[in-house]
Amino acid sequence: MTDLSKLRNFSIVAHIDHGKSTLADRLLEECNTIDKREMEDQILDNMELERERGITIKARAVRLNYTADNGEDYVLNLIDTPGHVDFNYEVSRSLTACEGAVLVVDASQGIEAQTLANTYLAIDTGLEVLPVVNKIDLPAARPQEVKQEIEDIIGIPAMDAPEISAKNGINIHDVLEMVVRDVPPPVGDREAPLKALIFDSQYDSYRGVIVYLRVMDGVIRPGMDVRMMATGAEYKVVECGHLAPKGMIPCDALGAGEVGYLTASIKTVSDTRVGDTVTGVERPAQEPLPGYKQVQPMVFSGVYPADGSKYGDLRDALEKLKLNDASMSYVQENSIALGFGFRCGFLGLLHMEVILERLEREYNLDLITTAPNVVYEITKTDGTELNVYTPLNYPDPMEIAEAREPFVKANIIAPQEYVGNIMELCQQRRGEFKDMTYLDTTRVELHYDMPLNEIIYDFFDALKSRTRGYASLDYELIGYRQSKLVKLDILLNGDQVDALSFILFADSAYARARKTCVKLKENIPRQMFEIPVQAAIGGKIIARETIKALRKDVLAKCYGGDITRKKKLLEKQKEGKKRMRSFGSVSVPSEAFMAVLKLDEE
Amino acid sequence: MELFKKTNKAPQDLKPLGIYIHVPFCRSKCEYCDFYSLGGGLNQESMDLYLEAVLTHIKEAAQRAVGYSVDTVYFGGGTPSFFGAQGLIRILAEIDRRFLLERGAEITLEANPDTVTAQSLEKLRRAGFNRISIGVQCDDDAILKALGRPHTYKQAQMAVAQARRVGFTNVSVDLMFGLPNQSRENWMNTLRNVMSLKADHISCYGLKVEPNTKLYGYRDCANIPDDDVQADMYFYAVETLESFGYQQYEISNFALPGMECRHNMKYWLGHPYMGFGPAAASDFGGKRYTAAADLDRYITGVMDKGIILSECEDIPLRERAGEYLMFRLRTAHGIEENEYQQTFMLPFEPLEKLLGVYEQRGLAQKEDNGRWRLTPKGFMVSNSILVQLLEAQQQSKPLAKVSR
Repeated sequence: MTDLSKLRNFSIVAHIDHGKSTLADRLLEECNTIDKREMEDQILDNMELERERGITIKARAVRLNYTADNGEDYVLNLIDTPGHVDFNYEVSRSLTACEGAVLVVDASQGIEAQTLANTYLAIDTGLEVLPVVNKIDLPAARPQEVKQEIEDIIGIPAMDAPEISAKNGINIHDVLEMVVRDVPPPVGDREAPLKALIFDSQYDSYRGVIVYLRVMDGVIRPGMDVRMMATGAEYKVVECGHLAPKGMIPCDALGAGEVGYLTASIKTVSDTRVGDTVTGVERPAQEPLPGYKQVQPMVFSGVYPADGSKYGDLRDALEKLKLNDASMSYVQENSIALGFGFRCGFLGLLHMEVILERLEREYNLDLITTAPNVVYEITKTDGTELNVYTPLNYPDPMEIAEAREPFVKANIIAPQEYVGNIMELCQQRRGEFKDMTYLDTTRVELHYDMPLNEIIYDFFDALKSRTRGYASLDYELIGYRQSKLVKLDILLNGDQVDALSFILFADSAYARARKTCVKLKENIPRQMFEIPVQAAIGGKIIARETIKALRKDVLAKCYGGDITRKKKLLEKQKEGKKRMRSFGSVSVPSEAFMAVLKLDEE
Repeated sequence: MELFKKTNKAPQDLKPLGIYIHVPFCRSKCEYCDFYSLGGGLNQESMDLYLEAVLTHIKEAAQRAVGYSVDTVYFGGGTPSFFGAQGLIRILAEIDRRFLLERGAEITLEANPDTVTAQSLEKLRRAGFNRISIGVQCDDDAILKALGRPHTYKQAQMAVAQARRVGFTNVSVDLMFGLPNQSRENWMNTLRNVMSLKADHISCYGLKVEPNTKLYGYRDCANIPDDDVQADMYFYAVETLESFGYQQYEISNFALPGMECRHNMKYWLGHPYMGFGPAAASDFGGKRYTAAADLDRYITGVMDKGIILSECEDIPLRERAGEYLMFRLRTAHGIEENEYQQTFMLPFEPLEKLLGVYEQRGLAQKEDNGRWRLTPKGFMVSNSILVQLLEAQQQSKPLAKVSR
């Protein structure tokens, strides 16, 4: 066990793309934690998806051994965190395991929306925030101004902040010295009953659940009986240890102040809740540690297996994913059109995309997803209150006394020349202007109250394209407001397809209905008869397209030598048809569902 | 008693058999062709070896055909006429010698306009060939040239005339629609002009761009008419040919009454046939098998008594039931409840339910004799129809054996 005074637990926070993961790479190298020949970019982002997209999705902890300039050996636990707004919960979880946060700010871009959001998270958690100015070797770097910005806007001293280039390894040493000097060592009593906070967990098919934790008091040893305080489940610790960049290193004991993992042949995923406290069975702690604020999914979507018989596989996959991602929720849902599936809750659209992609890749599933929606509140005419998570449960318009939708406070930072564009966009999206402040002579911060529904689809993309990528966005939920909502139904060949219904703001219904019909027409193959595609609100048709009848699907020549081939061809066509869902006599490929989701990409 | 019957068959008890000879030689390979053929012009050595192999193969296979009499022979390719009359006649003679070749057998030769002469046709006619199928394709020389066909429409007209002159009373012409740069008007003209050839039988094939053809490589810029235009062309052909007395008896085949190709009907009715030559397929003795599409492998296989097949499968009854739908529904003969139920012990009702739906949409019709067939409109989307029928068939449970 490392002496408390020689321990430093810190994480790196930043706006997306300001260089967190690259700085983490350099810190690992500087501490010789990893051989040069094993080094690769974004080494902590070991999820295939993370590397491909160049983003961090999951927080990752790693232990570094560092000999400081004062000659002392230190153990540094570094936790790399995601930067995208959807993954704020990952950041907040990681922060509770730390005493300090290195705030990375891009020397040319300065403070962005997520810089602020993540800094406030760190300050709220009671961490020491240590600014670092990155990318100083870029031609557009303006480190002095950025430091001034940090002092002015965030209000923390920044004049002594290291000026570094994570990419080119400039002044990395200064960062480590700063961590040793300025991050407070953890406090904790190793003689006290065990209290360890679970900040993450992961499922391993050989070892069961791997629990990542920060020990606050006491000591964890292999062979010890432990209890999860919230669920009451008890296990015998099989192994505990430290986290290396590639894998895990077992050790004899994890003491207060340390960050590490334990395994205990835990098979029941739900027994180890992130935020729960691990204590000893023999000498239990009196009180659990304060857990995290439970994150609430904001975006919901129906997720169905493309092949109905794969329902069980999907359920298993969701259960396993949920273990790695406590923020996701799912409940069973039954659609007339798609059969059994799940209504899944996500933190945002990127989160949804990531989860769906992981389900498809890591669990080899073909999925059909329905249009995402937010949670609506309905007061019925008989006075009952209802939360609507899915269009399937949207009540009859006659029964609705009042409908409310969630609003967010959106915080946009951008160069001032784009203010006009941003205002126009926000207005289109039903944004209500609150105020605008100048951060410095060239950049402004705008506040809007907006319906969450308008943000979840493609608001961020639209914002980026209207500001040449310069704008940054952060938002938080501020509550529900009354709204004019309708449910739009889609009919194929006269039959309503419930999985294509969605709830939206009444004034947007016509435009959306038209677009949906066009997209469906483009993505449903022609069939043996003409198929009307209609959009309706409460039985009234408001848009229509027609899929013309298929006129040619024939093998012209079929003689002796062609017979085997012809059979194979039809077999293939039959398989292709199996991958489609049939609604009445209409076959719909899953691409059609996807196309409807991407309605706004024009 | 049973044994006696099998060993001493009266001639009328002989089962009919079709014979197909694949002649894999062409003057040049057409742009759209994916049949097995060597388009490199004359190679006498290969042709001689091929001839020897086919003759040997016929001799051997005939031993297995006891109890069968051959009522159709079809020389396809490739371009059989390019192979030369002498070789063709030797093959036919070998068939006659080794098999029981019926007197009135239909003996067809596929020919291209550029590879026939009055003399060669006369020789073939005298040797017993009585049906000729000439690859005309279209009447527009520019399109013919672009397709890589080494002849003009004029040559095609002459070939038909010569065939008539030497006594072929059963002349068929092949036409194609949906060709690169072919317009609706162009196709209408072709049909009108072809009517004056007064053929007994006409095949109209919609172009299908197959992988492994030259055309496949540039299909996107070949200006091929789209599906809607091709459908229009097809329906126009059906209408025109009917008005000239040609009855549609299969998706792509039309004939004056009584002039249907008996050999090709075997494929669609599921009757047995034997194939010779590389890439030739057979359906015989409950098995379907195909020779390797490789001339050298075929020759060495036959001569050294090695393996020449690339595929061989037993077709169980349940699969035959699928084939019954796939192939009979290509024809105007169609399918019928009792025939189906008695042969395959499967219920017809799920199929009839679907057929009823198709009938409402004008894709199928029930004839007065109780047989179901597809209409021309149905033919044109027959793959989609078959996929549904096959699915319904697959899900149906066998009927209980009827107790007698």
